[in-house]
Amino acid sequence: MNQFLAASSRAFQWSSAVASSRAARRAPRGGIPTVIVLVAGAIIVLNYGLLYTGSVFVLSACYAIVTAGMAVQIGFSQQIAFSQSVFFGVGAYGVAMLNTHYNISVLPAGVIMVVAAGLVALLLGSVVTRASGLALAVATLMLPLIAVGYVSGTGFLGGPVGAPLNGTLWPGSGSTTLIALGGGLIVVVLLAAVVFIASRILSSDIGLELFVLGVDERTAASLGVRTPRRKLELFVLGCVCAALGGVAYAGTQQFVPETVIDPTTELALLIMLFIGGRRSVIGAVIGALVIQYLQGASNWVSVNILIVEGLLLTVVLLVDPEGLSGIVATGIAWLRGKSALAVAGAELAAAGTPAGTADAGREAPDELAGLPLSSVGPAGALADGTLGISAVGISAVGDGRQAEGTAGARDTALLEVRGVFKEYGGLSVLHDVSLALPGRGLFALCGPNGAGKTTLLNVIGVSVAPSSGEIVFAGADITRRAPHERFYLGISRTFQAVHLIKGRTVLDNVAVACLASHTASIVTRIGRSRLDAARAKAARTLADLDMAHLADREVSSLTLEMQRMVELARALAPGPRLLLLDEPASGLSEEQRQRLATLLATLAERTCVLLVEHDLALVAQVSERIFVLSGGHLVFDGGPADFRASPVVNSLLVGS
Amino acid sequence: MTGDETAAPTAPAPAAAALTVRNLSVTYGNVVAVHGATFTVTEGDACAITGPNGNGKSSILMGVTGMVRRHGEVTIFGTPARNGDVRWAARHGLTLVPERRQLYPDLTTADNILLGCYTWTRSIGKARRSDSYTRAVDLFPELKPHLKQAAGTLSGGQQQMVAIARGLAAAPKILAVDEPCLGLAEAIAKRVYDVLAQIHADGTTLIVVEEAPRRALALCNRRVEVRNGMAGAA
Amino acid sequence: MKFGNLLIAGITTGSIYAMFAVCVSVWYRVSNILNLAVGDFAMVGALGVDNLYRVKGLPLPVAVVTTLVVVAVFAYVYDQVVLRIAQDGRRPIEGIVVTFFFTFALSFFIDGAAKVLFGTDVHAAPTLWSGPALTLGSLNFERAGLLVLACAIIIGGAFWLYIRFTLGGKALEASGENSTGARIVGIDTRQYRRLIFVGTAVIAAVFGIVESPITGFTYLSGATISLTGFLAAAYGGFRKPGRALVAGLFIGVLEAMLGGYVSTQYGDTVLYAILAAAILAWPRALGFESAVSG
Repeated sequence: MNQFLAASSRAFQWSSAVASSRAARRAPRGGIPTVIVLVAGAIIVLNYGLLYTGSVFVLSACYAIVTAGMAVQIGFSQQIAFSQSVFFGVGAYGVAMLNTHYNISVLPAGVIMVVAAGLVALLLGSVVTRASGLALAVATLMLPLIAVGYVSGTGFLGGPVGAPLNGTLWPGSGSTTLIALGGGLIVVVLLAAVVFIASRILSSDIGLELFVLGVDERTAASLGVRTPRRKLELFVLGCVCAALGGVAYAGTQQFVPETVIDPTTELALLIMLFIGGRRSVIGAVIGALVIQYLQGASNWVSVNILIVEGLLLTVVLLVDPEGLSGIVATGIAWLRGKSALAVAGAELAAAGTPAGTADAGREAPDELAGLPLSSVGPAGALADGTLGISAVGISAVGDGRQAEGTAGARDTALLEVRGVFKEYGGLSVLHDVSLALPGRGLFALCGPNGAGKTTLLNVIGVSVAPSSGEIVFAGADITRRAPHERFYLGISRTFQAVHLIKGRTVLDNVAVACLASHTASIVTRIGRSRLDAARAKAARTLADLDMAHLADREVSSLTLEMQRMVELARALAPGPRLLLLDEPASGLSEEQRQRLATLLATLAERTCVLLVEHDLALVAQVSERIFVLSGGHLVFDGGPADFRASPVVNSLLVGS
Repeated sequence: MTGDETAAPTAPAPAAAALTVRNLSVTYGNVVAVHGATFTVTEGDACAITGPNGNGKSSILMGVTGMVRRHGEVTIFGTPARNGDVRWAARHGLTLVPERRQLYPDLTTADNILLGCYTWTRSIGKARRSDSYTRAVDLFPELKPHLKQAAGTLSGGQQQMVAIARGLAAAPKILAVDEPCLGLAEAIAKRVYDVLAQIHADGTTLIVVEEAPRRALALCNRRVEVRNGMAGAA
Repeated sequence: MKFGNLLIAGITTGSIYAMFAVCVSVWYRVSNILNLAVGDFAMVGALGVDNLYRVKGLPLPVAVVTTLVVVAVFAYVYDQVVLRIAQDGRRPIEGIVVTFFFTFALSFFIDGAAKVLFGTDVHAAPTLWSGPALTLGSLNFERAGLLVLACAIIIGGAFWLYIRFTLGGKALEASGENSTGARIVGIDTRQYRRLIFVGTAVIAAVFGIVESPITGFTYLSGATISLTGFLAAAYGGFRKPGRALVAGLFIGVLEAMLGGYVSTQYGDTVLYAILAAAILAWPRALGFESAVSG
């Protein structure tokens, strides 16, 4: 019972990546939703195929093929592109034209059109996906508007009337029954295939990349995700699914009305996606079914379909922004919690509760507040004691890329900043800053608030281009390299304000930095996933930092200091050659600071660590060389003894 | 674990408590920023809240002024303050000059200052003629030439002065200033503190959040030290 | 004088786009919600007046006032019920995408209700100022068009005066520019969210009433109007009402010129292609990069 619930909960949850659940190993990735679609679809087609219900089902399955792709592109990865109705039209009209004008039967015509749509999407996508966020949405919003104007004026396509087909999806001839049932079954198989592919992509290591991309494009890039490529792949995937849906539509309906390419089709598809649950593939399928059934129902509902859709969407989103699938997943998680308690007591419940039950986290603040810090959250032990870092294990942390950087790195500079200037709108933030760091050791960057410390880190670590000057890393000029390339070179950083990925576990947050999927294509992830390898590497890092017990916690349920530690773990996990830490000690107690100091000293034996820090005592204690920025100028550069004695430093930072 | 408050050392005669904070906690989501802070500010005090970055100094001010919801008791001049109600706090005399100024960049300097009056009036005429507005403008002669200019085009130091002037336009009895010298050059920071000293001398109770205690301590007679979201007198 | 007449037509439709764009961006500034339902309020205004006047036989002024009151009450109730739960509740819903779909759902709901109430035929509110077109030389000024322009100037002017000369208007500006800064001086940003939502609904209804004699409305016309306003607002980065206004006028004129000189049939297709190309070419200059968010 529990395992079934666990599995179905995963099927509904966008993140099947949730807990390291035992059931995960038994069921193949994407298997459960695919089997559900295949079996349920076949039963419905075979039983009701000749009835009105059956024809509504087949129609909704055509739309579901599109929405399943949208769940990956729009819901999960948050790349809002309004290109679906157009490519749906390309598939549908293409098949109709090839069928009636060139006498190609529907199935091969469909294959041709899907391939053609993929190529067109590749071309179009390489232009439009250069835009992000709203620009992408608004630019692609023009596509349906352009398309509808074109189609309605083009007689070849049937103009406002539409285009009929001679053939059907079912190849060969036969009785009407055979054609109807066969066509229906083909659509179900196509849908199952799309669901399978989509689920497997989302549960793979690239799925994790896509999730980060959806949360924040810049964070994703700084963690090595090649955002331009992923965005293009997503666009093509969405368009190919849409074209496939269009082919299925034309082949089963045997007529393509002009309305398929209308913006209202786009709106209808979006409504299906959001009612079903934007991040869930199976939810998107359910959304398509629900809306089509409501439209097909021959009663008050279908007459007033707009009112019903409007009310339904409002209510569903108010209850749960993740739509019906979110509601179902919460329900199942709740059921599981209940039955697990009954069966095996609280132990099982604690271990099996997925991170996706963010509801538990959402309820928490009111209970927490007012309680002493040391009893935050269910795993109360964390709060103060968890910074128990075992410096012993750290030497195991950086393997991989690390090795080549360590040999004889003392003498040659790993990082050189040469005469960097940075201006924001006429305001000079960095003024002729030059510094060089060797391959190992601990270095600190100090200065009053607003002195340009974080800007300097951004210039080195993320792609903030300096106004002039250059950054040389390991002999290569990286001044204008993209953030993901800097990540590959071995530059890792933490942020002053924590940039973790909400809604994911600690383990996944660290695993993001351990992915080896950056050069791979989305398509390869239908076959295999290296997510487990990345998670294993992440788990090792967490274990080294004594944080293994946190692995399955959802990150936003942690205290700020623990979130900082997770971010540090994420920066350490890939074994960087240069580690940029932005105020790692802020918010930590004296004792925790001391443990951090020990950890940093251990790290510095293998890696170059550049630390931005306000705690001068900590800085003077751990670092071998200290740089002080003031008003964008580098005003001090020396060892801790000089640092303590320097009048400049004293007047600027200590204030005596 | 709760920080203790000892009586203000420099006040032999018991002056009226302007602001009393007892067991204040502020959480953002599941992140506890302030935990069990307890302190009192006496009328006429200049109180510095010091401590390292990210330790909850600003969150104390945000909680006390009602910018974020809080747990714990806050009383302003003896009246228990409404939770999460900035307007109430302002009307009872407590105004915040926030970190990073939080001005309205496309509005003019004059309008930015004028909006400080929104805490007590909706009439633009009353606001323009009010003492608090004229005093706020007069306190900063360097802003005079820029009154018609968009506030976003001013320099950092001028923007800080606009933020303080906006706070004064609300006619506060307690002015809470959060990191007034963030990103300012030394000379300008000194000017900001001179102005704060003048405001204090004019009889306004001051609370200053400052990361580097040096400047603040020259002005202030009391200090609350914050570590890990816990405040105590130092 | 083909050019002159096209320009007049373009400015007339452009002023409508501009008003809707300003409505979208002013509300977006205070609420962070993109409102796709403005056009539907316009449709309800036009068809409501038509229904009350022509079908129910009420006097025209009564019909107009009743319609506007109904629109205002409906907008108020929607804000109190749905937006309050969505934005002010225990779990405020964040992210442009999800909140956008609330107005999307609202648009569907209004369209559906309009279908029940007003039917599916093309109707229009009665012309408030009837008579033959006024001519000036070879230029023709349709009276309905002049009325639209007059409304745009009056409402736009009143809004400008409100922003410029009242503390409430400045507070509105402030809450649009910096909501944290606005709360510091005690500005209730939720109150402005409500005020502007109701206000834009009524303004949209007014424009529906004066514009409908030119084009005629069906229960589905709202989406098209919203879309154009939405596009124009997009070119103002959704946060700059001034630029949205200019963009609206520009799109209107461009549409008229393309229709007049390039092709009546494919004019819109070319227009949208130009608009898409502009975004892709200069996303930052058009204010898109700053508005990016999940």
